[in-house]
Amino acid sequence: MTNPVTRDRRHFEDLAVGEVIDLGRTTVSKDMIITFAREFDPFPFHLDEAAAKASLLGGLASSGWQTGALSLKMLVDNFLSQIASCGGLGFRDLKWKTPVMVGDTIGGTVTIAELRRSSTHPQWGIVTLDFDMRNQNGKPVMSMRLANLVECRKAEAVA
Amino acid sequence: MTRWFEDIEVNEPFPLGDHTFSAEEIIRFGTLYDPQYFHTDPELARHSHFGGLIASGWHTVSVGHRKMVDALFAEEERLRGLGQEPGVSGPSPGVNSMDFKAPVRPGDKVTYTLTVTDKRPSNSIPGWGLLFNQLTAVNQHGELVYEAHLVGFSKLRDYTMPLRLRLLLALSKTPVLGKLIRRGS
Repeated sequence: MTNPVTRDRRHFEDLAVGEVIDLGRTTVSKDMIITFAREFDPFPFHLDEAAAKASLLGGLASSGWQTGALSLKMLVDNFLSQIASCGGLGFRDLKWKTPVMVGDTIGGTVTIAELRRSSTHPQWGIVTLDFDMRNQNGKPVMSMRLANLVECRKAEAVA
Repeated sequence: MTRWFEDIEVNEPFPLGDHTFSAEEIIRFGTLYDPQYFHTDPELARHSHFGGLIASGWHTVSVGHRKMVDALFAEEERLRGLGQEPGVSGPSPGVNSMDFKAPVRPGDKVTYTLTVTDKRPSNSIPGWGLLFNQLTAVNQHGELVYEAHLVGFSKLRDYTMPLRLRLLLALSKTPVLGKLIRRGS
């Protein structure tokens, strides 16, 4: 059975290790930081400018989870919505390196680090993606290794 | 943790509460941060192997983080109510692993638990302890939704800075020597 949503997208067989995906850029506003923090990370240093100035961060900074969510959005727009993605399996080695402050512009690349067939589901493959997110000064802000399922054109049992 | 490093019991589950996911919030989060068709469009989602709308993994994790923040604030208040001074937790440097095990569908009730599986004083940051945290999310059928392992920091209550460090800290505040010390460290 073919999935009409993903039929014409790139499949597992069309991907190559070493492929680099440019994620573009996103500027993080005060409004974005406060809206996300109110719902998911209500620490004073993500909500209130005065409290943030007095904290270790020295100013209003985005939640690390928001930095990840914004990076994910850029990955979906530039890659996952163009392939036959079947959802994420999880991630490894997520590191927050530099806080993202109000007005910062984040962007970066994702590199295909690994491609392997699923051992349990012959119709699926697993793509492993390395994130390298940086701010406008080229300073690393976040890295992680994400694993995502992708439909194969031809089901193949792993030997 | 809002408990002092010394007061944290290893392998004692710390309940963080639960959250029921509505279709509306699944679509709202998906549209903003993970706009894949099975997170944003209930009709198209029927064609996916999930057979319907599911929450973005990042959404269930972000809600889990919120539950943890709320539980830590509540624990802080509980300790203050007992006349105790709550401990101090530090920022998290990252997440070692996060495994999504079962999808979250509209109406699912997810229960979150934090367990400190191990702890030791930090070698690199004097006065702080390292916590090895396990986070789990389980749905109303008892199925594991995700499991995560991450490192956190908690302040030591019974810490006195060694004389050598105190001396270095005092010297680092003087203009000339301080510059040299900071460059050397």
